[in-house]
Amino acid sequence: MSLDPTSVAGGVGQSHIRRDADDKVTGAATYPGDRVPVDALHAVVVFTAQPHARLVSLDVAPAEAVDGVVTVVTAADVPVNEYGLTMFDQPVLIGLDDTGRSDVRCDVSRWEADHLAIVIAHTRAAAEEGAAALAVEWEPLPLVPDVESARRDLVLVHAETAPSNTYYEMAITKGDIEAGWAAADVVIEGRYELPHQEHAYLQVEAGTAWIDDEGRVTVETSGQWTHEDREQIAHALDLPEDRVRVIYATIGGAFGGKEDMSLQIVLALAARKLADLGISRPVHCRWSREESIVGHHKRHRATIEARLGATRDGRITAVEADVWLDAGAYNYTSNKVLGNAHLSVAGAYEVPNARIDSRAVYTHSVPGGAFRGFGGPQGAFVAETQMNKLAEVLGMDPIELRRRNMLREGSIGITQEPLPPGVGLPEVIEACAERAPTDGPRQPVPPFRSVASLPTGVDDPAIVRGRGFAAGMKNVGFSFGFPERCEAEIHFHGDAGDDRPTSVDVFHGGAEVGQGNHAAILQMTADIAGVDVDRVRGHFSDTAVSGDSGSASASRLTFMAGNSVLGAAEEAEKAWRDGARPAIGAFRYVPPPTETLDPETGAGQPNFSYGYMAQVVDVSVDTLTGHIRVDRVVSAHDVGRAINPELVKGQIEGAVVQAHGYVLSEHLVVDEGRIRNPRLSQYLIPGIGDVPTEVESVILELGDPIGPWGARGVAEMPYITYAPAVIAAVHDATGVWFDTFPLTPSRVLAGLRDGAADPL
Amino acid sequence: MRYAAPTTVDEAVGLLAADADARVFAGATDLIPQIRSGRPEPSVLVDLKRIDRLVGVGESGGTWTVGAATPTSTLTADEAFTGAFPGLSEASGLIGSDQIQNRSSWGGNLCNASPAADSVPALVANAVRAVVAGSNGERTVPVEEIVTGPGQTSLADDEFVVEFQVDTPPAHTADAYLRLIPRTEMDIAVVGAAVRLTMDGGTCTAATVALGAVAPTVVRVPDAEAALVGSTLDDATLEAVAAAASAACNPIDDKRGTIEYRRQVAGVLAKRAATIAAERANA
Ligand SMILES: Cc1cc2nc3c(=O)[nH]c(=O)nc-3n(C[C@H](O)[C@H](O)[C@H](O)COP(=O)(O)OP(=O)(O)OC[C@H]3O[C@@H](n4cnc5c(N)ncnc54)[C@H](O)[C@@H]3O)c2cc1C
Repeated sequence: MSLDPTSVAGGVGQSHIRRDADDKVTGAATYPGDRVPVDALHAVVVFTAQPHARLVSLDVAPAEAVDGVVTVVTAADVPVNEYGLTMFDQPVLIGLDDTGRSDVRCDVSRWEADHLAIVIAHTRAAAEEGAAALAVEWEPLPLVPDVESARRDLVLVHAETAPSNTYYEMAITKGDIEAGWAAADVVIEGRYELPHQEHAYLQVEAGTAWIDDEGRVTVETSGQWTHEDREQIAHALDLPEDRVRVIYATIGGAFGGKEDMSLQIVLALAARKLADLGISRPVHCRWSREESIVGHHKRHRATIEARLGATRDGRITAVEADVWLDAGAYNYTSNKVLGNAHLSVAGAYEVPNARIDSRAVYTHSVPGGAFRGFGGPQGAFVAETQMNKLAEVLGMDPIELRRRNMLREGSIGITQEPLPPGVGLPEVIEACAERAPTDGPRQPVPPFRSVASLPTGVDDPAIVRGRGFAAGMKNVGFSFGFPERCEAEIHFHGDAGDDRPTSVDVFHGGAEVGQGNHAAILQMTADIAGVDVDRVRGHFSDTAVSGDSGSASASRLTFMAGNSVLGAAEEAEKAWRDGARPAIGAFRYVPPPTETLDPETGAGQPNFSYGYMAQVVDVSVDTLTGHIRVDRVVSAHDVGRAINPELVKGQIEGAVVQAHGYVLSEHLVVDEGRIRNPRLSQYLIPGIGDVPTEVESVILELGDPIGPWGARGVAEMPYITYAPAVIAAVHDATGVWFDTFPLTPSRVLAGLRDGAADPL
Repeated sequence: MRYAAPTTVDEAVGLLAADADARVFAGATDLIPQIRSGRPEPSVLVDLKRIDRLVGVGESGGTWTVGAATPTSTLTADEAFTGAFPGLSEASGLIGSDQIQNRSSWGGNLCNASPAADSVPALVANAVRAVVAGSNGERTVPVEEIVTGPGQTSLADDEFVVEFQVDTPPAHTADAYLRLIPRTEMDIAVVGAAVRLTMDGGTCTAATVALGAVAPTVVRVPDAEAALVGSTLDDATLEAVAAAASAACNPIDDKRGTIEYRRQVAGVLAKRAATIAAERANA
């Protein structure tokens, strides 16, 4: 019953200014680290600083003797000493022998940021002093700090539960791979090293915990899924879920980095311990930037070997790939990230014959986990770079090569099932071809800021220019049979005689991580209720009042929340017509089911919806210094329907900036299980002067048949194609393929000298 | 830590003379991060910004004077100064970010004695002099005599830089400064190159070339200067400048750049800076 969008102020399709904009721009918004109750105690989480060591002894008495220290929480205080988003394989606290009801061995530190204890004190300084006073003895154990050493299985990271460090594997066999190679006129072969990436959200991990009026252990923090946090806390504390409450304050970025637990469980433990001691004061904790970078997971580093066969006229005949993800010390979401890398390494193309083997490997290194794209960036980088190399070998326009192979309506995907209806790939590719054809003129946009090694306007023959292209797809929503769902509740208020509600309440768990999800929920609610958005009140992200939304991840929240809002509004509408005031509607949206894949062939329907994207990137390369500047970006997306076009652009531009750092400057140094540059002065994210001045966002609204108002997702898609497009543009400019990145100036210069990329 | 804000040079010297652990500061953009990262705290922090002579820029009688605590944003905003010393202004404008430049000073940039300090190669290329005050009065020394090694200066415990002096450049003279960092701002120079040239009808009559971040202190490159003088900056000369600059490097190998990379880029930046300086001087 969607009304004419212009009839409702702030309805669907309008770039209505989001309600949180003023507070965020003026600094009035309070993030978890700003919300320190006056009577709060302060907690410091003590990291083990041991990539692999057995705890010999831990004496907390010297810490408790420090003036101002209230108590120290240790493993003995954890009823069920384990957690993990998709499997319980990580102790909450490392301790000598008390694992409660868990099988996870907790006396061994497998990661430098494993937690050892929580020191609670009257001041942050006293808590730090207490932490330094802990008497700890470790027995160092041999390390397997990377996939290469871990794969030999001479040292097992989880000896009790995983007989091999290669603990999770997936396979695809499709068609007849030998026939595929026999039919190939050309074969492209490559070995790619994909680097880690740090999320670098502005707001570092922080939170406050207390026991609320109803006796619930309450944690106010930031995250991506309140109900998942609650479930993890309840599990470790051995409490029924309704005895735990999770609230999100204003969240300053997440990008997947807040999908797993950081402070959630430890804060809950701290609040419980204080209550047990009869102390009714809240407890606050905030990580420093260094603690944040050391203490949470990263985008997986990966090694991918790939072969691509094609006929002379550019038809793909075979794809082979071997994928190794460095899962680090604990699974986090590695098994799921692996699934995405596994599928996306085949590309968004019709592939008649394939063999793909993918593995996640435990190491004594920083865990890999969720990060915008969720395995898609690694897989798609390889798929697209292989395609771009194929185009070069065939002497074919890379866009034309895509046309000959791209998935379209009715295509059978790599998992031998048809794609969900509404395949927008051909349209996004053509949108790029139209705006920036391969041979079209290059129009560099003046940069925000001059590169100081070559001022703007100086025309130096050392500068060469190039254009690159990449295309792809990314699933919307959880995959592989996960029980996807999203709940909403809507109240229509008004008098008995009112035709339409005079005001509306919407209750929703969706996490506002900065992307504008609450604005989208409010606009969708206004639209369907037929009231101006100013009359809609939102009640968000508090497990005491909002239902289970699923997480702000997998580009799913607009799609899922929109469908839940539509269902709840329909229920409320019925009650309204029946005369109920307020008219209340509650709804749990469940999308079409997905499937786990066949373990040998990979056959099955993994997803219910995709977003499609294509990008063109123009670069200038200073061949004497190796400095790269991106001059122009065209980013085309089938978003189904833009609920708020300006916010869609925000996602596209933000994703481009984040991917810009991934491919050009961000270099996390991890060595012997330790992060060596946990500072933003050493780990270089792009500044405003570095990013492309202008991103041409091309927003196509082709409509997903099952999306709310036709909407799909967009948050991850523009990220995924950027790195391969930049690499292709650099090749176009210089003739050199870089199979690893970031493309720091020194690596580029070495690559230009050697004709190939050096490892950093 | 105690904070003191003297209003005269003598008062500041007195504070330093009375306490060997007292430290002067201007913008504190080096000092505070260093204390935060664990360097010993000074006993007294002596703020130089309240002393009139320490803040300001101007020319008089053929000499430019720049207060040692003047924020570099004042210099980059000063059109007369930037017109006379475009390279020095460029180098000052590359320190950190806009926010940092509202605090950062030449005195701090020089006396912090980082090999990568951006203003210092340009100060050296322009033969800038530092006026140093101490218990024994004032002395004037060339800036290259202030820094003796990473984090080391020739200043005595009770001395500090009051102001910088530099002669008004002769006609057809200009400087240029280029720097390489992986980003466009907020990072420490991998290489910096300053060149100052005097041109006479297309021929170079005087040249100084100074490099930063490629040795423990700023290095002059006499071979490059010799190649430039008497030349018209033809390709062969520029190649000789690049080769001499690369050869003059004695860099460290660290996360920011390998030795080989620094050597190569030093040559590139030196010849590019020379070209830009010549264009400016000819204009
Ligand atoms: C985010 C950031 C980015 C930066 N980027 C750059 C950059 O791009 N390039 C660059 O070169 N630097 C950079 N820096 C370093 C710093 O900003 C500069 O070196 C700046 O010029 C220091 O000036 P200041 O006045 O703040 O020095 P202060 O911190 O006040 O002093 C630095 C040192 O010099 C001493 N000192 C100060 N004034 C005098 C004086 N008059 N006489 C004797 N000793 C004195 C102090 O005792 C101290 O040891 C950066 C710093 C930060 C925090």
